[in-house]
Amino acid sequence: MRAFVSLWQDSGKFKLGFIITAILVAVALLKQPLLALHLGDINPLREASFPIFLDPSREHPLGTDRFGRDVLGLVFVGLPTSLQVAFMAGGLSTVIGAVVGFVAGYKGGKVDTTLRTITDAFLVIPTLPLIIILAAYSRNLTSFQLALVLAAFSWPFAARTIRSQVLSLRERPYIELAKMTNMSDSQIIVQEVFPNMAPYVAIGFATASVGAAFSLVGLTVLGLAPSNQMDLGTLISLAWGWGVISLGKEWIFAAPVTLLILLFLGLALVQQGMEEFFNPRLRGQS
Amino acid sequence: MSNPPLLQLEKATTIFGRGASETVANKDVSLALDEHESRLISIVGESGSGKTTAARCLLGLQKPTSGQALWRGKDIYKLKKQERFMFRREVQAVFQDPYGIYNPFYKINRVFDLTISKFKLADGNTEKLELIDDALKAVNLRPHDVLGRYPHQLSGGERQRVMLARAYLVKPKVIVADEAISMLDVAVRAVIMNILMDFRENLGISTVFITHDLSAAYYLGGDIMVMQRGRVVETGSSVDVMNNPQDDYTKLLLSSIPSPDPDQRWGSAPIPVAAAD
Amino acid sequence: MTTTPTIEPKAGRAQLDRKTTRPLLQIENLDIHFPTPNGLARVVDGCNLTINHNELVGIAGESGSGKTTLVEAILQIIRFPNRISNGRVMFSPDGNEPVDLMQLNKRQMRRMRGEHIAYIPQGSMNSLNPVMRVGAQIVDAMVDHGISDRQAKEKVPGLLARVGLEERVARLYPHELSGGMKQRVIIAIAISLEPELIIADEPSTALDVNVQRLILEALANLRQDMNVAIMIVSHDLPVHAQLVDRIGIMYAGQIVEAGDIRSTVKKSLHPYTRGLMGAIPSIGGPRERLGGILGTTPSPSNWPDGCRFHNRCPHKMDICTSVQPLLVPLAAGPRTVFGEEIDVLAARDVACHLYPESTPEGAAT
Repeated sequence: MRAFVSLWQDSGKFKLGFIITAILVAVALLKQPLLALHLGDINPLREASFPIFLDPSREHPLGTDRFGRDVLGLVFVGLPTSLQVAFMAGGLSTVIGAVVGFVAGYKGGKVDTTLRTITDAFLVIPTLPLIIILAAYSRNLTSFQLALVLAAFSWPFAARTIRSQVLSLRERPYIELAKMTNMSDSQIIVQEVFPNMAPYVAIGFATASVGAAFSLVGLTVLGLAPSNQMDLGTLISLAWGWGVISLGKEWIFAAPVTLLILLFLGLALVQQGMEEFFNPRLRGQS
Repeated sequence: MSNPPLLQLEKATTIFGRGASETVANKDVSLALDEHESRLISIVGESGSGKTTAARCLLGLQKPTSGQALWRGKDIYKLKKQERFMFRREVQAVFQDPYGIYNPFYKINRVFDLTISKFKLADGNTEKLELIDDALKAVNLRPHDVLGRYPHQLSGGERQRVMLARAYLVKPKVIVADEAISMLDVAVRAVIMNILMDFRENLGISTVFITHDLSAAYYLGGDIMVMQRGRVVETGSSVDVMNNPQDDYTKLLLSSIPSPDPDQRWGSAPIPVAAAD
Repeated sequence: MTTTPTIEPKAGRAQLDRKTTRPLLQIENLDIHFPTPNGLARVVDGCNLTINHNELVGIAGESGSGKTTLVEAILQIIRFPNRISNGRVMFSPDGNEPVDLMQLNKRQMRRMRGEHIAYIPQGSMNSLNPVMRVGAQIVDAMVDHGISDRQAKEKVPGLLARVGLEERVARLYPHELSGGMKQRVIIAIAISLEPELIIADEPSTALDVNVQRLILEALANLRQDMNVAIMIVSHDLPVHAQLVDRIGIMYAGQIVEAGDIRSTVKKSLHPYTRGLMGAIPSIGGPRERLGGILGTTPSPSNWPDGCRFHNRCPHKMDICTSVQPLLVPLAAGPRTVFGEEIDVLAARDVACHLYPESTPEGAAT
């Protein structure tokens, strides 16, 4: 908590990124009330609720799409799905990466060599093509399964950074003092190493979430994501297919893109802010 | 020889790396501390002499490649859980870096709390506070100067004294002090050494004092072990060895120490450049 | 051994008569303050110091006494942009009208640093470029200051010889050198422009004792060979005792005692100096319990009122808590302090109320 307060006061980047991310998350969490406020009890996904391709107006701030759906309503539906997949994938890959990184770094020796080889093997797999193939073969992925697939290929990054941090922390004198105090390995990891690792785990989470959000958009724009759900990527993919820009209906395209840019920006700023704060070598000239 | 020594290195050899990059940190280092006779042993040498490796072997932080580190005649690396507990209780350490030894995440109190709970030193809070008070008194610290503070708020000397107070809490039989004064200001070095000498006199705690500073070893008295490139080159009583060194390397070290008296010049014989580089 | 007074005149530089010329460097009431979240940190505060031509001067003090900041102030390389500095640093490399280093602009100061003042920062032996041969790095330093490439290359063997290194070292990379050799390369770079003043900050810390001795002797020899003044900053009083002519003892941002090395360490005037000397073990003779100095170094943002040492001083008087003593030269002659007789012979400065001259006039007694 202390760290968070000084991070907040110290890093403008973190502050801005955190605010952007928090707003996006708040909008996603408030999906139901916002939809009710905006569309009443009309199902935002029901086709032909309104005339097609309406220009933005007071009633439809972002107009309507080719199937007569309110675009703002679609955004309200799509944003939570995108965030959910991004954070779930980010969280999963951080957890896997942290466990692997911690064990490898702290245990060292053969355990480290084995885990490092596996990690490195995963690192050189060309991720996106593989995900595309996987996604193409399994059409009916739920968002959780999709997050799992994304996480399966992004954890090695987290594992590597965390391992190297643990390696350096393991050599700290206070770890030896803990051994002298007869603490067990697991107590040392939890009480001595982890508190000092928390910022790196948080950085890893932000990085992985950005990565997952990115891959997800890639997949959906290519039309390979689950077809039965609406997320920001799907909306972009649809708009692209309708040729909205040549029709002069660019807002259908612009709305999800802007939100995604905000999401990337928010998470990336949080990540950079934390990294600069906890790794003083990156803190400019001072 | 009915009782095995309390703490012992038996022909300990430690080798780091393999093949071309192989470094022999310790070669056949032997040392024994008896339970009933408290001693002060200084291990002196320059950087790379292997003195810290010897200390780490004694503490069970470094496993010798061959030879043994023994506690009460048992291999330190093969102790059962209960034996290990007793070993840790009886053999404590003070390290070189009074900054890195503290986990920056926690307040100073945790050092004491953890030590007390891990070694089951107190029943209840009152007894705990009394123990801490007593330990701080033993190193001339006032409780309100250190308790409730973070490590970075204390000076180097204060931090090192907290470490000594921590060792005092456990009432060990041996304290291994690895370069415990080298990062401190001159004015507090003597304070730390005095505490170690008092511990021995009043509580019978032995000290293994690792240092590059021969004058500190002379001041502490007791015995000395001079190390060079992993080997022990000379042993004996500190005062005798320094007044009448036998080994060439010991003589070289002694001739290089600056004396605080300007009239006692550095040894007049020039040092061969090759020996120093 | 290093204090033989014969100095060979060096070509191109007039031999200066120490008695008639002005000092090389004169620091007058220097303040270096930084605003910090905990208030104004008066790291150097009212500091006075004089260095003469061709003199070896030591500055000793505990960590936090401000000695490194003092050096940085002389060199005008203080990193904090929002510093507040007062006082003068008068520098007279040629014995002519001195210039105030505090008033120079960046370009003038850069020239001054290269050509007249050389700086050997703490730990600088680790600052050699790992991918450049040592010789090329020495040449670079000279070329930077306008010496032609050819001339610079010609000078390298001579510079290496001055610090006791063979010519072949020029072709080596830093990782092929030992710590002591690297430190000597740094000294070779420092003397390459034939400065009048070399400032070395902890030049022998972290070196083994016999390497330390070689380095310090190399520095001391330069003084004779090159007619240069050297200022050595070190926490290690025995090092000063072996090396310097004169010493300044720094405490809490000020020089509290200055004088020739022999009388300063043997018959210290200031209680702080006495405390320091009393905390140093020496080899040989009877082993007596050392005292050390009680208490801890105060913080620069909260120096005590009056004499800054008063809360750690065994000779504290009432006046010490309120009136700051001035650093003044003592009149020659015998006097009794600390229950012993001290005969003040050479010029000695001290800031302590045990000496009546040190108490400012008109201060309540």
